[in-house]
Amino acid sequence: MSEDYVSPWETRLGWLALSAVVLAIMSPVLYSIYISFNEHGFGAARYDFTTAWYAAVFEDAQLLSALGWTVALALATVVVTIPFALLCAKLFKRLRRKLWLVFLILMPLFAPADIFASSLLVFFKTLNGTFEGIADATGLPVGHFFQLGFVTATIGLIVYTLPYAFVVILITMGRYNAEQTEAARACGATAWQAFLQVEFPQIRPGVLAATAFTVILVFNEYVRSNALKGGFDTFTTVLISQMLNIGMSEQSYAMGGMMSLTAISVVAAILAWTFARRAQLTRRAAAPAGN
Amino acid sequence: MRGGGAGFGPVPPLPDPASPALARLGARAAAAAFYLPPAFMALFFLAPSLMTVVWSFWERTMFWMEPAFTLFSYENFFLSARFGNFLSSIGHSSIAVVICFVIGFPIAVFVRRRIPEIAQHRVMLLFILPFMVSEIVRTFMLRPVLGRNGLVNSTLMELGVISEPITSILFTPTGVVIGEVLSFLPFMVFCGFLAMEAAPRHVFEVCADIGAPRWRVFKDVILPLAAPGVFAGAVFILVNGLGVALIPNTLGGPGAVNAGLIATQAIIALDFPLAMAVSAIMTLTLIGLLALGHRLFDLASILEPFK
Repeated sequence: MSEDYVSPWETRLGWLALSAVVLAIMSPVLYSIYISFNEHGFGAARYDFTTAWYAAVFEDAQLLSALGWTVALALATVVVTIPFALLCAKLFKRLRRKLWLVFLILMPLFAPADIFASSLLVFFKTLNGTFEGIADATGLPVGHFFQLGFVTATIGLIVYTLPYAFVVILITMGRYNAEQTEAARACGATAWQAFLQVEFPQIRPGVLAATAFTVILVFNEYVRSNALKGGFDTFTTVLISQMLNIGMSEQSYAMGGMMSLTAISVVAAILAWTFARRAQLTRRAAAPAGN
Repeated sequence: MRGGGAGFGPVPPLPDPASPALARLGARAAAAAFYLPPAFMALFFLAPSLMTVVWSFWERTMFWMEPAFTLFSYENFFLSARFGNFLSSIGHSSIAVVICFVIGFPIAVFVRRRIPEIAQHRVMLLFILPFMVSEIVRTFMLRPVLGRNGLVNSTLMELGVISEPITSILFTPTGVVIGEVLSFLPFMVFCGFLAMEAAPRHVFEVCADIGAPRWRVFKDVILPLAAPGVFAGAVFILVNGLGVALIPNTLGGPGAVNAGLIATQAIIALDFPLAMAVSAIMTLTLIGLLALGHRLFDLASILEPFK
């Protein structure tokens, strides 16, 4: 069945179904954003626009501290996950037997959050016991290495985000022609120079997308950070404990709205940037030679 | 791009031949760096996941557990109401898998076949968008959507479709299935989309030339080619339906418990061996399903396009 025989109505119907599904998936998000701007909250008969609930979020000291911790976690995770994802993608390209790598890196995608968080929690508790034992026996300052806290939460988040970053970078690398590296090497560049000056500029959009993806995943994550964080709070752990213990307040809607709007604007910004860049490249390619 | 412009500056000098040993050491260290991420994943993902099997046989103490070999945790799981709950959550997850396939896979096929190649990835971004919004928000905010005076009920009542609010869509098993479908549907679309890469355009032209009926094309061409992707999507939805505690916890009402919720509740109750037994069962189920899928369809072929 080639394109010529397709009825336009069928295509329109397909688009309609696709949009309906996306809308259904997004309905809780959009509806909660709508509620978050209503002065009277959920279920009210009247709708008066207000940003007061958002202002309340920013006046809450506990939330601001949680926001700070979340940002710190996101930064720490990105710093490790992105180089790791690049290394994995390069390794994937050069390995003859790839299967073990694919399974090892992508398995966490399939591992359900609560199950994996429980095993990692027990793992860290065991490691912590071992390291405290070593510290007691030898006097080395290693006793606190795996105490639940920032480090353990970051490790959990790296395991969680690496598969996503890996796939995003791998897709971009798939479009890179490896002969360019060969050419650079033949011209005398070291492997590192060839990567930094030839390959990296071409895969940069993928690396940026992977970074944005990782930051958003960390911001949205709840189960792993909650299980592994020890003493501090993140934005989502505060939100969840509010919603589970106090019930949905207008402020919960505003917090949810903030998270959704941030994610949506990051995706929109990436899209806009990609389109602008593509348009620029197309213009440059179309420009007459010699310009 | 490729032929374009200024590349490098002057050609760098060749490595100093006086220090070949040092250079070799450096090269070896650089080669080893590539194995750092897999080593990290082996230590912090594989090891904890596999250790759950060992810990599940340990004995519970007051606040922790101690090495032993006892089947108590498994008895505690299989011979109590937990097992029944687990079985019914398998049922709900399976229904979610089927619904996701029926809705999501045709979308993947549609995007691959009817949308110009250059726009396909942009359309997929529409499905990445909900995925980028926190699952917590998407799940929790289903309450105001599905609730008694929520969006669905008030809209349907205003339209005159129903006269009384539908109460069976929240805090019921149906609520859990709805939550799972809305949470995991994008995964079926992605996996189907990736898998459809294996079905090139000319295959369909051949089908059209020999006048194959539509359902035969679907059954005998599309489905077998896309099977690895569909399987991967199905495993993801099934296992996460069993393992993500948030969905039954917020949408399921009293009886709704899945493996993830059993494990987290066991940890809150400081029954670590029970939590580990549940984790071990889930981990082994996941490994078993992926191994089965790999035997049947070579799951690595999903990543074929990137080789």
